[in-house]
Amino acid sequence: MQGIWFDWRAAAVVNSDGVIIDVEEWSGPYKVNDVMQRLELLKAGAMTTEARSLLIQFPDSILLPSGSSDLPEANYPIPDDDAQTIADEAALKLAEDGVALAAGDPDRRLEHLIGAAEELRSAWVTGEGRMVEWVGLFIPQARFERDRSKLATQIISSANIAQLAETLNAELPPVGPEDSEWHSLHSWALYVSNMEKQLNQIENSIRTITRIHLPSLTALLGPLLSARLCVSAHGRMRLARLPAGTIQVLGAEKAFFHHLKTGAPPPKHGHLFMHPWISRSPRWVRGKISRMLASKAAIAARCDAFGGEAWSPAQVEKVEDKVNEIRTRHPKPKQIQR
Amino acid sequence: MSGEESSSQRKIKRNNNNSKSKNYSNLSWAVRMQRRAIWTINANPRKTVYGESLRRFNGKEYRRWDPRRSKLAAAMIRTRNNPDILLPAAGSQILYLGAGHGTTISHLHDHLCGADNRKGGRLVAVDLAPRCLRDLTHLAHSRKGLVPVLGDARKHTAWGALVPRRVNWLFQDVAQAGQVEIFLSACDSFLAIEGIALLSLKAASERWNSEGEAALFTEVGRKIEAHGLELLEGIKLTGFEDNHTLFVVRRGS
Repeated sequence: MQGIWFDWRAAAVVNSDGVIIDVEEWSGPYKVNDVMQRLELLKAGAMTTEARSLLIQFPDSILLPSGSSDLPEANYPIPDDDAQTIADEAALKLAEDGVALAAGDPDRRLEHLIGAAEELRSAWVTGEGRMVEWVGLFIPQARFERDRSKLATQIISSANIAQLAETLNAELPPVGPEDSEWHSLHSWALYVSNMEKQLNQIENSIRTITRIHLPSLTALLGPLLSARLCVSAHGRMRLARLPAGTIQVLGAEKAFFHHLKTGAPPPKHGHLFMHPWISRSPRWVRGKISRMLASKAAIAARCDAFGGEAWSPAQVEKVEDKVNEIRTRHPKPKQIQR
Repeated sequence: MSGEESSSQRKIKRNNNNSKSKNYSNLSWAVRMQRRAIWTINANPRKTVYGESLRRFNGKEYRRWDPRRSKLAAAMIRTRNNPDILLPAAGSQILYLGAGHGTTISHLHDHLCGADNRKGGRLVAVDLAPRCLRDLTHLAHSRKGLVPVLGDARKHTAWGALVPRRVNWLFQDVAQAGQVEIFLSACDSFLAIEGIALLSLKAASERWNSEGEAALFTEVGRKIEAHGLELLEGIKLTGFEDNHTLFVVRRGS
């Protein structure tokens, strides 16, 4: 039994004793681009033209590309120094192309977007909280439990604290902020409203990418939650391979490992809690709904990852019917028998 | 007055240091071991790779090889044998699986190739992660002789054509399950007779439920010997890199 050894520039027929029967070498041109194409062929597990022509002459041989573990020891044709230099240049180019391709990977892009959105959101929430307290100190009569969202723009459009009090329909206490203090408050409001705008921008780009990357999961869970699951799972392919039980507790790692360690009750939901079907349901059905929803999400993720058809609204409606069914079946919490 | 005094004191101290620094050894033309610090002659002068310190000895610029960042450096400090068997011959071809961000690679390159690759070495560095390759390709532009490959360390035929001859030195540092099997098959495919291969093994990456780490490391040693390779040493890297052992292996004739 003989084999055909080949690398990017030559091929040789070798028998099991390591005797080389025939050699065919590539005539060139030895240019970086051509060598890159050949290295890519090898990477894809394909044959070079030399290997193919030897295979036609010796049809009953097995293919043994360079690097195969069962190659017999033999003096295979080795590239000379010039050829090797070109191959090394081609390898560097290939590596760079591979790195550049990673920029097109939606998983990597979502990772940064989700991370940025998370950091920005926590900064925004604390910043806004401070702004509300700050204004409340100077204008104690003002009440904005309902719409804190407008406050930033109201501060920005006011020239001084009196004007702000007027817009808020409140009286001004005798002691107000210094001029420079008011300017600090004013720029703080600018900072808060900028963060809000930035956050919206980031979330919009998450939505755009996720709708294309995970259409079925987005139809079921919405784009932001789908993206979060995908990032927690370290990519779409990995998400698609996860069991539904893992998807159910993605994002609840702390509670989950506490459960494994101490035997505390396991978490019922992780990121999935963000979904109104769970967060707006009564406490006693949340676990049941989240279990059902996680298994549907697993199916949807697999449809997305393995090139299936995207889910239609009708399919999502069926899931919603199931949610309602669970809710009506358990109108009251289960009584614990003592 | 007092400032002058202290500066002169410092001078004396430095002189003392210099007279003491006789106790260094040269592991190769480019690698210098001074007590517990390793230095390599910088092949890309005045540039650092990962923020390591630069220093001149005898008019030549050296980069400090940080044993906390490089398992090979840690092993050279920790080994009970002569540390220079852990290094490849300058000017040879070597294969490095699991190249990472190029910390160890850059020092190996200093030793193997030197500036403008005047030693004529060749270092094939394979890694799977595009993030790591980003740093490696950047490094390869300023360091001739370094060949970065984006590929899976397990799929030898995907990049095997870039290793035309068997190598005398092979290093593997991939933190994934089945490291030992990957290592053994890489030795079969690429290691020359009498060649040295190093396996950096992270205990946490192997599935192992029984006795514990010590038993795992003995088991790995047994596997290596059962495969017909000669196990020279298992160097524990505790203190530099916990739960890691570096196995030094030679392929017999």
